[in-house]
Amino acid sequence: MVATIMTKKKVPFDPKSLKFLTAVSSAEYSKPTLKMGALIASVFDASHGVVYVGERASEFHGSSVNLTRQNLDNWNIIHPGLEVLEWALKELKTLSPENEELAKIQFNPDHVYEEDGRVRVILPDDKGCRIELVLREGELVDQLRKEIQLEGYDLAIIGGSQNKRHLAHSILQYLPSSIFVLQKFNPRKKYKLLLLVDDSMATIKSIEWGALIAEKLGWPVRTLTVSKTKRFGAGYQGAADKAKAYFDSRGIEVEQFFLTGDPVRTFVEFAGDNHFVIMGASTLNPVKQFLFGSKPIKTLEQTDVPILIVR
Amino acid sequence: MHISADMLFWIQQKRWLLIALIVGAILYFFVPHPQSLGQDGYHILIIILMTLILILKEPIPLPAIALQLIFWQVIIGGSSANEVGSYFMNDAVFFIMGSLMLAVAIVSQGLDKRLALGIIRITGNKTWRIVAGFTAISAILSSFVGPHMVTAMMLPVALTLIRYTSNKGQSNTGLIAALLFSIAYGATIGSIGTPSGGGRNVIMMNYWAEFGSGSLSYIEWMKMVYPMVLIEIPITAFIILKTFPPELKVLDRAVRHLSVEVAHAGKMSWKEIFSLVLFAAVLYGWIALSEVYGLGSIALMGIFLYLTFGLVSWKDLSRGVNWGVILLFGATISIGVQMKNTGGAAWLAEGSVNFLQVFIPNIDTLRAVVSVALSGVLSNLLSSSATVAVVGPVVLNLGGDPILLGLASVISSAFGYFTAVAAPACTIIYSSGLVKAPDFLRAGWKMAIMSVISLALVALVWWPLFR
Repeated sequence: MVATIMTKKKVPFDPKSLKFLTAVSSAEYSKPTLKMGALIASVFDASHGVVYVGERASEFHGSSVNLTRQNLDNWNIIHPGLEVLEWALKELKTLSPENEELAKIQFNPDHVYEEDGRVRVILPDDKGCRIELVLREGELVDQLRKEIQLEGYDLAIIGGSQNKRHLAHSILQYLPSSIFVLQKFNPRKKYKLLLLVDDSMATIKSIEWGALIAEKLGWPVRTLTVSKTKRFGAGYQGAADKAKAYFDSRGIEVEQFFLTGDPVRTFVEFAGDNHFVIMGASTLNPVKQFLFGSKPIKTLEQTDVPILIVR
Repeated sequence: MHISADMLFWIQQKRWLLIALIVGAILYFFVPHPQSLGQDGYHILIIILMTLILILKEPIPLPAIALQLIFWQVIIGGSSANEVGSYFMNDAVFFIMGSLMLAVAIVSQGLDKRLALGIIRITGNKTWRIVAGFTAISAILSSFVGPHMVTAMMLPVALTLIRYTSNKGQSNTGLIAALLFSIAYGATIGSIGTPSGGGRNVIMMNYWAEFGSGSLSYIEWMKMVYPMVLIEIPITAFIILKTFPPELKVLDRAVRHLSVEVAHAGKMSWKEIFSLVLFAAVLYGWIALSEVYGLGSIALMGIFLYLTFGLVSWKDLSRGVNWGVILLFGATISIGVQMKNTGGAAWLAEGSVNFLQVFIPNIDTLRAVVSVALSGVLSNLLSSSATVAVVGPVVLNLGGDPILLGLASVISSAFGYFTAVAAPACTIIYSSGLVKAPDFLRAGWKMAIMSVISLALVALVWWPLFR
């Protein structure tokens, strides 16, 4: 089926209604992730949640841990993990010095709302900044999934992981939102936006998102269409043409590439280390994805560049 | 059939439950029971295997694991519902319930600030003395009141010292680990000192009584085991200081801050004094009267008094106690008794002895090795109390002196130094987020070697004087 690309005539999606979630682990490792998360959220003018997922104590000793934490409260020692969220808020303020509303928001570890294993920091001064700070405990993918389902996030932004294979499978299979994985992301590097175009439905949204990012960040755009055979069918060719037409209609210059070969290997080789990849999520059924993987899963496993998978 | 991502995720999250059920079903339906073991005994062992998988991987909540233990015993274990129920509540379970409640009652009094001041007065501000002091105090207190209560009270003291320690922008990872491990390992080595030091001690005492293996009074237990605690305290402090060398030799500023913070607590209130008196009465009851009334009922009497005099509210108690753990201990003990009654424990014990006799011909050494190795290894995977509940009946069927083997098993179940899951004290410091899993390995292997040597020393030199 040939995808229909949205043009200026149609009503574009409303970025202001979008909700993005950035997962942070520590001040030491999550600075680039948070920086990119804040940047992307500002590009889309989306509300921005920051979640820290800490380790959950074995249920066997759960009451001992809870007792200790209650006692730590008596000593004014904050819940472990809240310091990461405190750092995150500080960092967000540093990243947006012009945002006066954000500057007014104060972090108070006593102002937290605890419910069902989730701790939400209450930000009483948040007037229009649309910031959420949340602490969860447990397995990363499970907790991110719960948070995304609870708050209806559209995009989850996470850093790269050592355990890449397992992470790629889990996040792409189970997180019910678009996913942005910041592998080896260098905030100082000049990236080119590489949009992987085929005839799938998910390509439409990825083009819209890509266009917005390119427009706001001024990054050069390339589209790549890969066919397994030397012949490019009407679907692939049509999708690439419509993608170009969409970028042209928004005044964004785009370079088109058509290559043949194994799609994943071609994506990976082409992406090198200086592209920021955007691709649509797989539409394969979940069991097939679990057993055999999918193009996004394999691409995420094999590339070392930031990759945004749009669902 | 269409399987959605949600279903696939559920299957992925619950895979260990499915594995446990599949393993159980294969063994139940397709593998005949050994000739030397009756059908009921075989089925009980299948239930235990499934439960071990579930406890280890926690795919379902802890109370659910306890519930499946109960109904499987009735459905496939050949026990009647009343029989399972009769073993479910006993003095050991009362004690575990009472000690968890006592922990909530005492910690809520805020006595830890007094404790902090007392420790600092003794140790001064030198780091090595503070680490040694934390180890000693944690061990001694834990031997009477259990590691969870001690760690809950000591952790804020350590974290306050850490908070006020300035190292001119340099990292304090050595100091942090040294302070936290001195509490965790101190509380863990102390927990074997008296019967009230941990649920597993009382579970073993309960098995001795249930299986007619003899008994030990509170004082007799102390006489046999406390020397080991005393040997281990200085060595533990030494191991911690060598493994995690603190960056600062003196914690002058932090100690001053801590003293000021504690001084704000003011004079002791009548509630604090009365709460201490009540606790001393419970302790006296455990030492002097537990042979007659049992440790559990004395603990519950203490809780009754705390509630009656308004020192703690039922709301706080019910919120602070993990009832799922109590349910699980009741269920584990009941299956432990069934394992003994159906011959499953004897079959496992005999099998291990026959298998290992080729490597260790001396039967006494073999029994000791099986008892220590089984408890020591399992306690690093499960919790120490669950280990004793499961391993206890096997160890008591090994032959030899059940009291000595039972003690060896209980003591070695406290050797869970390698992981954060084995001991409550280790889990608590891990949950602070300030120590990492590899830190447990770094110090744990040294602690394990030291503990095995100390146990061998006490068993060979000290215990023969009593039995």
